[in-house]
Amino acid sequence: MTRKYWKGLEELKETPEFIKHKEQEFPNQQTVEEFLSDEKLAETSTARRDFLKFLGFSVAAATLAACEAPVTKVVPYVIKPENVTPGMPTWYTSTYYDGNSYASILVKTREARPIFVKGNKDFGFTKGGVNAQIVASVLGLYDSERLSSPTAGGTNASWSSIDKAISSAIQSAKSVTLLTNTIISPSVKRAIAEMSVSLNGENGSKFQHIQYDAVSYAGMREANLANFGARVIPSYDFSKAKTIVSVDADFLNTWLLATEFTGQYAATRNPDAAWMSKHIQFETVLSVTGSNADYRGMIKPSEQAAVLAYIIKGLGGNAGISAELNAAAKAIADEAIKALKKSKNESLVVSGSNNIGVQQLTNKLNDLLKAYGTTIDLANPVNLFQSEDAKVSKLVKDVVAGAGPDVLLMMDVNPAYTLPNGDAFAKGLKKIKTSVAISSYADETASLCSYVCPGFHALESWGDFEAKASEYALAQPTIRPLGEATASALESLLVWNGKAVRGGKDSSVAYDYIQATFAAKFPMADFAMAIHNSVMPQVLAPSTLVYADAKIATLPKSAEWEVSFYQKAGIGTGAHANNPWLQELPDPITKVTWDNYITMNPVEMTAKGFVTTYDQEHGLNLTTVKVNGKSVTLPVYPLPGQAPKTIGIALGYGRGANGEKIGKAAFQTKEYGGYELNEAGNRKPIGANVYAMVSNGATFEYAAAVTVGASEGVYPIAATQIHHTVMGRYSIVRETTLDIYQNNDRSAFNPPHTLQKLDEHGNHVEAPVSEFDLWDAHPIEKVGHRWGMSIDLSSCIGCGTCLIACQSENNVPVVGKDEVRRGREMHWLRIDRYFASDEEAAVGTRKDKETFSFDKAELAAENPKVLHMPMMCHHCNHAPCETVCPVAATTHSNEGLNQMAYNRCIGTRYCANNCPYKVRRFNWFNYPSYKKVTEVNPAQDDLGRMVLNPDVTVRTRGVMEKCSLCVQRIQSTKLVAKKEAREIVDGEFATACSDSCPTNAITVGDWNDLKSVIRTKSEATRAYQALEEVGVKPNVWYQVKVRNEKNDLLSKLQVEAHHGGNNKHH
Amino acid sequence: MEISRIQLLKRFKSLAFVALTFGFVGLTNFTKAQGEALFKSKCATCHQTHKNSTGPKLFQVRDKWAAGGAKEGSIIKWVNNWQNAVAVDPYAAEVSKWSPTAMSAFPDLKAEEIISIFDWIDAQPDPAAATTGGPTDPNAPPLDPMEEEGSVGWIWIVMGVIFIVVILAVGGVRRQLNIATSDNPEHQEKLTYGEELRTIAWKYRLWVGLASLVTVIAVIVTLFQGLYRINIMEDYQPSQPIAFPHDRHAGVNGIDCKYCHNSVTKSKSAGIPSVNVCMNCHKQINGEGKPFAGEIKKIYAAAGWDVSSGAGRYTGKTKPIVWNKVHVLPDHVYFNHSQHIVVGGVDCKQCHGDMKVMNEAAKVQPVSELNKIEGNIQLTKPTLTMGWCIECHGKKDVKIGDGKNAYYDEIHRRLKKDPALYKKYYQDGKVSVSELGGWECAKCHY
Repeated sequence: MTRKYWKGLEELKETPEFIKHKEQEFPNQQTVEEFLSDEKLAETSTARRDFLKFLGFSVAAATLAACEAPVTKVVPYVIKPENVTPGMPTWYTSTYYDGNSYASILVKTREARPIFVKGNKDFGFTKGGVNAQIVASVLGLYDSERLSSPTAGGTNASWSSIDKAISSAIQSAKSVTLLTNTIISPSVKRAIAEMSVSLNGENGSKFQHIQYDAVSYAGMREANLANFGARVIPSYDFSKAKTIVSVDADFLNTWLLATEFTGQYAATRNPDAAWMSKHIQFETVLSVTGSNADYRGMIKPSEQAAVLAYIIKGLGGNAGISAELNAAAKAIADEAIKALKKSKNESLVVSGSNNIGVQQLTNKLNDLLKAYGTTIDLANPVNLFQSEDAKVSKLVKDVVAGAGPDVLLMMDVNPAYTLPNGDAFAKGLKKIKTSVAISSYADETASLCSYVCPGFHALESWGDFEAKASEYALAQPTIRPLGEATASALESLLVWNGKAVRGGKDSSVAYDYIQATFAAKFPMADFAMAIHNSVMPQVLAPSTLVYADAKIATLPKSAEWEVSFYQKAGIGTGAHANNPWLQELPDPITKVTWDNYITMNPVEMTAKGFVTTYDQEHGLNLTTVKVNGKSVTLPVYPLPGQAPKTIGIALGYGRGANGEKIGKAAFQTKEYGGYELNEAGNRKPIGANVYAMVSNGATFEYAAAVTVGASEGVYPIAATQIHHTVMGRYSIVRETTLDIYQNNDRSAFNPPHTLQKLDEHGNHVEAPVSEFDLWDAHPIEKVGHRWGMSIDLSSCIGCGTCLIACQSENNVPVVGKDEVRRGREMHWLRIDRYFASDEEAAVGTRKDKETFSFDKAELAAENPKVLHMPMMCHHCNHAPCETVCPVAATTHSNEGLNQMAYNRCIGTRYCANNCPYKVRRFNWFNYPSYKKVTEVNPAQDDLGRMVLNPDVTVRTRGVMEKCSLCVQRIQSTKLVAKKEAREIVDGEFATACSDSCPTNAITVGDWNDLKSVIRTKSEATRAYQALEEVGVKPNVWYQVKVRNEKNDLLSKLQVEAHHGGNNKHH
Repeated sequence: MEISRIQLLKRFKSLAFVALTFGFVGLTNFTKAQGEALFKSKCATCHQTHKNSTGPKLFQVRDKWAAGGAKEGSIIKWVNNWQNAVAVDPYAAEVSKWSPTAMSAFPDLKAEEIISIFDWIDAQPDPAAATTGGPTDPNAPPLDPMEEEGSVGWIWIVMGVIFIVVILAVGGVRRQLNIATSDNPEHQEKLTYGEELRTIAWKYRLWVGLASLVTVIAVIVTLFQGLYRINIMEDYQPSQPIAFPHDRHAGVNGIDCKYCHNSVTKSKSAGIPSVNVCMNCHKQINGEGKPFAGEIKKIYAAAGWDVSSGAGRYTGKTKPIVWNKVHVLPDHVYFNHSQHIVVGGVDCKQCHGDMKVMNEAAKVQPVSELNKIEGNIQLTKPTLTMGWCIECHGKKDVKIGDGKNAYYDEIHRRLKKDPALYKKYYQDGKVSVSELGGWECAKCHY
């Protein structure tokens, strides 16, 4: 439209490699001759001659096998459960909590096995919001490396012997410490309180309970203790905030209760509503949240306090500290001050820092704005993240010194991995008399413990939660525990405290206990109904907390180079590092899969001599960074928008560094399958663990001073960033500002594509592209349904939840790092992330052709605007893929769907070559059996296979596949309506992506239904079709992205160019 | 398993047979004895020829009655209505004590028809004697008459080969004789037997060429026909762990198909009944003293039902029954029973045949049998092939706009907005499933 959008610096600079590869959607890396002469080929177990032998044999075998009809067995239930109908899904309400993410969810089960997780839009304060990790959690259930039996000293043992040993150890011990992640379960809290009473008596000190989160929010709680006298985290309501200022808080991705915040935020981003929020972000690493901001300032971690102080000063307050800022950040801060002055108490300032002082400044600013009581609710405290960093540090010090408690019980924590001094802790742990881990895996910590007691997966267990004071939530099991001898953690605590007897695999101990907790809380309520809804509202007492100024605690010191540690959308704290879906989820910003890296601004990289471009053959430079004497070596990734003189490294990588059994997909694999091994013969972890570099002061702080070394060679990177580039067609994304949108007509911000035609007088006139047609129209506008999709680019935050939901629903195979590197990822839905610069004046044309230079454009890319665009099959009514298929394997339905018949496809790949959107995926291998992907593809595991959706075919080698618009769901929606003899209700049909979208950016429906939302959206002034000028007549519409910013250049281009008569849009 | 192998073998045999005996007319016997038809429709539910089942075996039953001192013709009376026979013949009264289960009356059968049945029965060989003479597996499926035809095929092949060898040998002998008796020694040196054959072939090249062409085309055609039959499930009839008589349950006892296959209206799969459904009746009906009691015991074993103590009790030790699936669709096919039953109004027997009369293990009914079902669209393609589905979807009409289903009414309303298309749809007076998209790939393949 108005700017040049590019997906990577490679595209911007048009490097020779990029030019070469953009021509080839399916790169043939080598010629056949090269392949056969490859020396490495001899190392593979299949030599060329063998290959030919196998080929001959397999042809013969296939011919013979084809003649034999195998006998299929069918095993009905002996006693069929009443609510299970074979072939029909059963949905359960539940609640997801893993110590980091929380959401009310719905679980789809088929024949009693969970296969899909989505948000519960009807109940729970998360209102259907989920993230990629929650949707992917269903795969974690079927991990074959999960422990199935308790172990003592590393060998399997019976519960009875272990219970006896632990109980007596607890009784005879002088000191017992229970280290858990944040407990939000009222029942578990009750069980711990009982344990405390029975061990401590009235005022003993034998037993203590410490809560410890992998990523701590103690700074917030301590700051609130100083300012309000209570160690609370209040509720935030982004939906009421007209101005949102976030200082390094990634609240749309991982910060606090992101599952709740994304929905609230999206509600304020509708340009057609009464008002649209203004979002200003200050941050170090370009985050998902920052990429959606209207204004974004780049700051070092140590500048956070200064930003807050500057804004406080601008609003007439006095922070009492220096408010010196760099010029660029100052300009953004001025915008923030302007906006905050306007919106007053309808504002919200949040900070992602775990520094007490920075959080105190945030409190001060919010108090200055009088946000407490409007956007911040102290009466409804958040119970998540109660990490007590000081207590944890004390315990760790004791353990390291060999002065730890006699009995250390650990539950759902992994301190040996997540502590800054995890190594020392691991050594100290061995000195503890009795160490017990309640953990699903023999992970870094559990593998060192005397006893490991495997708990249930979240989808296997009963649970109750109080994530916020306002709501009590329940989780119910959706499958009988898969492990032979796993047990509820709650039951274990009760048994060791002598309050219950082991109940075996179908134990009801935890259920009874939770029901008792419920009955005490809600004496009048029906438990069955509560399970049905999964939540119960709770009455809140009004808050008595009043803000008081306090002495600002120590603020972070600045350094020449600073590092910021952050969480990625997929891997988070590292608890799901063994989930191949999440490892292969392209990071929303960098689009890198299967890896950890150092992010650095390309400008800095050039100065330091690192390469800033990469592709499948050319990797990125490795370098070593040092923090407090600890060092890691990782590749340096060029990230426009990274603050100067800073780097960012994601937490959660480097799991299983000593070869612990934490899941098959958590390790590096070789080019032809099998694991990469280190010198000790252990599997090599993916990436490096940087928890060790986290600063350990009053709280754990996720930033530090760093020294960056020189380039040390090259490392291959598997990123989807520059794959499937849409060639030279820049009309694919459209963007405008709120001001232009509100004060101009469609032709300014969303001009139609026109062509010249002759009118009845023989004059040349402009006519919209839609009037021109090479082919006869498909009769879909009157016949039955016409399924369509609308994606609102203003709402889409690029989080990647839809991608995982699609993978889960449609049995999309995992292909592993090496295949992704070769551009062979199989995701049906990708999210294109475009960086924008202001160097181009209009679509495909440069502002000033004579003087335009790419170098300048690169400078502008230092802090670019970002746009996320989900891209999947557009189900074109004039589909170019259909016309080139030699076997008619892809055809058009009279409902507007572009259908793909896998069993007819012969794999010519003509269709993919002809697709303007590059959304077709080719099955290069038989992923359910190919040895290269044995470690990563869950379909190759007997247990992992259970996650497959039985309504969708598992595709085989040599066929094309692509988004089907969840045709299985369309068919089932239609069938339900037909059986009930009624019309289809608008909104009844949802694709996996639209179903799981936390911001409701994706709308699907029947376009032929004149009253449907999709019809309205397709006719809205913001609606446009990507590459409309190609004339393929897609059934997918996008809504123009609207940013609430002041942008003179864009205004000039869109408004003045339009009124100036320069109205050529081709 | 065995069944599929036998079928395959059979198919391969018939393929080879047809390929090598192109031009020969296969031996088929279309004449069927009236007695056989009557036996199968009236008697076979309870009687077997050589084995006692619900009723006693009927092989040479007339001789048995005569030897036992029955009155002339009383056996005919017995068949018409056994009580009449009991009333007049003391031997018949004796026979009536054979089983507590009373025989049905067949007053419609004429005497000569009954005689034709007995004649046919007496002409049947004893299958047990035919094999090893020892006891046969009661679960073994009845032998397919096609088997016999297949072995005939091998004979033809062997005979054909012998025939060609004999002709060549005779030709060779004749040649040797010619050479021996020939006056011209040059001839002897000039041509070998092979060369001579080639000369002859060249001489009659038109005929040899034509014959070769016909043979080649015949082989190709039969090969393709054979290949097209591969994996066609028509007639597929696997053995089952329990000899379940559909005719007894659905026919004699009149149990609705949907009572056991109860997810057929709700789900894509009709569902194999869970054992607890069987136990609804079989808790009472234990078949004690009956030849099929062993089969019912298998259900008890699966359900963990202990009959040894008093009224019986569930032990909780269950063991699922592993059935062999009869109607198997490939993985890439989506088929929904409820769509066809509830929305399409199709009756079970329209695709599965009339199970009320099927006294053998369930099998995929050949399309020729299905075509006999009343009200069925006449189809030509083999059952459970895509051609079969497509054919039906092309012919079957959907009542849209008759006010009975609001979903289709809405489709009808939308269609009316496009008069040209509307007219095209109704050209043949109906809207077929295919016109509503029933022929589209993604209706069944996703």
